[in-house]
Amino acid sequence: MIEVVLSDRLGKKVRVKCNEDDTIGDLKKLVAAQTGTRADKIRIQKWYTIYEDHITLKDYEIHDGMGLELYYN
Amino acid sequence: MANRTDPAAKSIRGTNPQNLVEKIVRSKIYQNTYWKEQCFGLTAETLVDKAMELDHIGGTYGGNRKPTPFMCLVMKMLQIQPEKDIVVEFIKNDDYKYVRVLGAFYLRLTGIDSDIYRYLEPLYNDYRKVRRKSPDGNFMLTHVDEVIDELLTRDYSCDIALPRIKKRWTLESLGVLDARKSVLEDDFEEEEEKDEMEQDGLEEEVAHEKDYYRARSPARERERDWRRDSHRHRDRDYDRDRDYDRERGRGRDRERDRDRDRDSDKDRYRLREEKEYGYERERDREREGRERDRRDRERGRRRSRSRSRSRERKRHGRSSMSPRRHEAEDGNAPEESKKKGKKEKKEKKEKKDDGTDHPDPEIAEANRIRASLGLKPLKL
Repeated sequence: MIEVVLSDRLGKKVRVKCNEDDTIGDLKKLVAAQTGTRADKIRIQKWYTIYEDHITLKDYEIHDGMGLELYYN
Repeated sequence: MANRTDPAAKSIRGTNPQNLVEKIVRSKIYQNTYWKEQCFGLTAETLVDKAMELDHIGGTYGGNRKPTPFMCLVMKMLQIQPEKDIVVEFIKNDDYKYVRVLGAFYLRLTGIDSDIYRYLEPLYNDYRKVRRKSPDGNFMLTHVDEVIDELLTRDYSCDIALPRIKKRWTLESLGVLDARKSVLEDDFEEEEEKDEMEQDGLEEEVAHEKDYYRARSPARERERDWRRDSHRHRDRDYDRDRDYDRERGRGRDRERDRDRDRDSDKDRYRLREEKEYGYERERDREREGRERDRRDRERGRRRSRSRSRSRERKRHGRSSMSPRRHEAEDGNAPEESKKKGKKEKKEKKEKKDDGTDHPDPEIAEANRIRASLGLKPLKL
């Protein structure tokens, strides 16, 4: 279980607990459950890399405590 | 200048009609080349020409959420706000199905509740195919009546949040609308009579009971064939059943149909009475229950696969767990899954294996959310 921190540019900071083998799509659903936006409106980025829905966190080498950027579509 | 709403336009739901589309999607539409080139200075007449050229519907697609021309035209209609007559003409026209869907969408966004039901329900009889652009950029097949169903039952479509409308039965109880008359009612009555005559021949049914586990009984098969044939003139209920059969995979539904068949054959004598109460109502109830069942069962079934593996591992680890519980479930497992409804048993299992009863409340809460989303519990 790892905990990922997602923050958007308007001050919203969300800590999400997830498994390493969850996909980005699952992570988006968890974030949507916590923030109230729709899952398909969320875009997760790291600088200019947009993370794609079907790849797992492990493959993206997202570790515990890592911060990701939250944008909206 | 080009993006301002017509100053003569009324405000819809208390705001600028263009605000029905949310900010981010709206900006995406304004930056789109189709909007800038083709939708500049459109009037109601020229809009019709553009609408006739449409060949797919959809919301935003791709990595940078590009809007479809359909969305741009919806936006244009919100901007110029054509008269209700024009919109009704769009809906009534039979030749161009995309114009119809465009008119229906616009009416759903801007019309009053009774108008929406009155004009959109006849479109349930339109079963033509429609191309839909999915969010990843590929095309999907759908039908006009499926789109209408989505407009009337969901609150989000094509990346636009649809305004809330009153439920149909509220309007019926207010007397604004009549009760819904299905086009298939005559067909229903015919089928009822046919089924009643079949039930008189009980001996045939008994002989076929053995086939239930494998094949479908002739009565059910005939019904299924009829369902498939009445593909053309469809009722909303059948449409949904058929679509779920098609989309969700025959395997699961066949099992459930088998369960239903078995149950309904046991209650054969009662079934006749039920039919007298009204076929449609039974189906409505069943449909509602079915959707819930389906969701729970799919989730349960998905889980059961992972659970069988994890349960073996846990059996070694959790020696403190009461052995009686394990044995009882093992013994019952093969029988129960065949005879009783699966739902109850899956609920019991969920509490055990989903980690929702974890001592740490945060983790339990996280697991609860994951379970509701259909994800596996956290690995600690």
